[in-house]
Amino acid sequence: MEIQYSGKIKKVNDAHTAEVSKQTGFPSAATHYMEAPIDLHKELTIHQDATFYIRVEGNEWKSYNILHKDVLIVDRSLKPNFEDLALVVQDATFKVMRIPFGGCKDICTLWGVITYIIHYAR
Amino acid sequence: MIAMVDCNSFYASCEQVFRPDLWGKPVVVLSNNDGCVIAANAEAKRLAHIPMFEAVYKIKDALIKNNVTFFSSNYTLYGEMSQRVMNILGTFSPHVEVYSIDEAFVDVGGMEHLDLKAYGHNIKERIYKETGLPVGVGVAPTKVLAKLANRMSKKIASHHHVYIMDTEEKRLEALAWAEIGDIWGIGRKHVMRLHQVGVFKAIDFVRLPLAWVRKEMTIVGERLWKELQGESCLEFMTMPKPKKAIGTAKSFGQKLRDLGRIEEACAYYITEVAEVLRAQNSCATYIQVFLHTNYHSKIDKQYSKGTTVTMPIPTNDTFALISEARKALHHIYKPGYRYKKVGVNLSGIIPQEYVQGNLFQQRSKFNDKRLIATLDKLNMKFGKSTIASAMIGTRVDEWELIKRERSPRYTTQWGELLTVKAVH
Repeated sequence: MEIQYSGKIKKVNDAHTAEVSKQTGFPSAATHYMEAPIDLHKELTIHQDATFYIRVEGNEWKSYNILHKDVLIVDRSLKPNFEDLALVVQDATFKVMRIPFGGCKDICTLWGVITYIIHYAR
Repeated sequence: MIAMVDCNSFYASCEQVFRPDLWGKPVVVLSNNDGCVIAANAEAKRLAHIPMFEAVYKIKDALIKNNVTFFSSNYTLYGEMSQRVMNILGTFSPHVEVYSIDEAFVDVGGMEHLDLKAYGHNIKERIYKETGLPVGVGVAPTKVLAKLANRMSKKIASHHHVYIMDTEEKRLEALAWAEIGDIWGIGRKHVMRLHQVGVFKAIDFVRLPLAWVRKEMTIVGERLWKELQGESCLEFMTMPKPKKAIGTAKSFGQKLRDLGRIEEACAYYITEVAEVLRAQNSCATYIQVFLHTNYHSKIDKQYSKGTTVTMPIPTNDTFALISEARKALHHIYKPGYRYKKVGVNLSGIIPQEYVQGNLFQQRSKFNDKRLIATLDKLNMKFGKSTIASAMIGTRVDEWELIKRERSPRYTTQWGELLTVKAVH
């Protein structure tokens, strides 16, 4: 912070002083082509108010390509289609299943449709 | 027309969304410090022999015996779930007045040509589908009537949580159904007075002459009277009113004797209220600090004292506020007592841009807005009090509220996500 003196009055100059080059001349060729970087949250979460992240423990869902410690992105707003991967509740427990033809009405309660599986690869 | 949408047993429902093993089972949520029950779902309320909303220590055994699951309050979760509900309501109408954490008025004016009943069911079903939270919807010409319609939607089973009061007959029917005490805005004192003059149902109230209502219940009563007649008097507020005073006071997890820990708790509360202050872009002029022992204890010496200090310049700077509050605390603290609670209350709240400088006060060394803004950003990103004044200390768990049964913050902390066991 820089203190400015003018006569008896002290004044703190707290204007933002970012490190900007004083160089003049030809500006960056990209000036008119700048775009916001990719934001994964925006890309993977379509309906924010209806989306929940859920972590999986254990390898029992390997056949669905869901492994231990994976995080599921579950969108509750989507209408499930045939063969969609979904998080459901059966016998008071969470389960994963593929939506059968005609929905899962009688056998379980739909919690939400799984849209992405986040897997840590290292 | 105005719709009043409110969530059924909101806190308990939030907990149940993530716990299918508790669906259809009794659930209660406890107050700060796990002192008493503040929310109970329908299944818990049905256990009529247990006096719910009682001190926990009195009913704990009965709760356990009846397989009632209890949670410490998890306001982070409830607040985030509430935001989802409000956002969804925002897609139904541009005018949504968030009335409380679990209630909102939705202006559905101009939609009367639609089938409002279907519209109400649409709101209810969408919120349930997308968030897992059950809501009730009441639609009526005024706010007070909408509140009443909402009550009817829940209390009368055949309405299935959606009730539309769209005709004069329905309005009169509702007024004949409602007890006077059920009307929004009529407090216990007024109920007693109204009972004296033979008013028991809402319909009796609207038959009173307006002059009497105005004389006995002021302009507030007059507005209620008119609203019940179907004349809209309460304006629609889409922006929340800035708070006039912001305070917090919570009992310690255990009784405290030494000034050090009390100072730390005080600094912690100031940090909390200063955040609220900044969120609404205002500054506080006065800080009230109070301290007291346990009134209910028969063995302890009793002491209780409060004091108010004036800030040299109104501010919302956490550090400046902590520093003044600390001085105030030193002023009222007396050694030799077992303290139960310290509280802070900020008042004289003015918009940030109206703050006047003080001729005799040097510009405060604390007055670095960027520091505070960075602090807020960090805490928003990494969780409450990630970075805070050192005055808060590191002994938070020695005095903080007991939150034994708090559920994970499923929706705001990556480390606390709902974890599901992979089973077939």
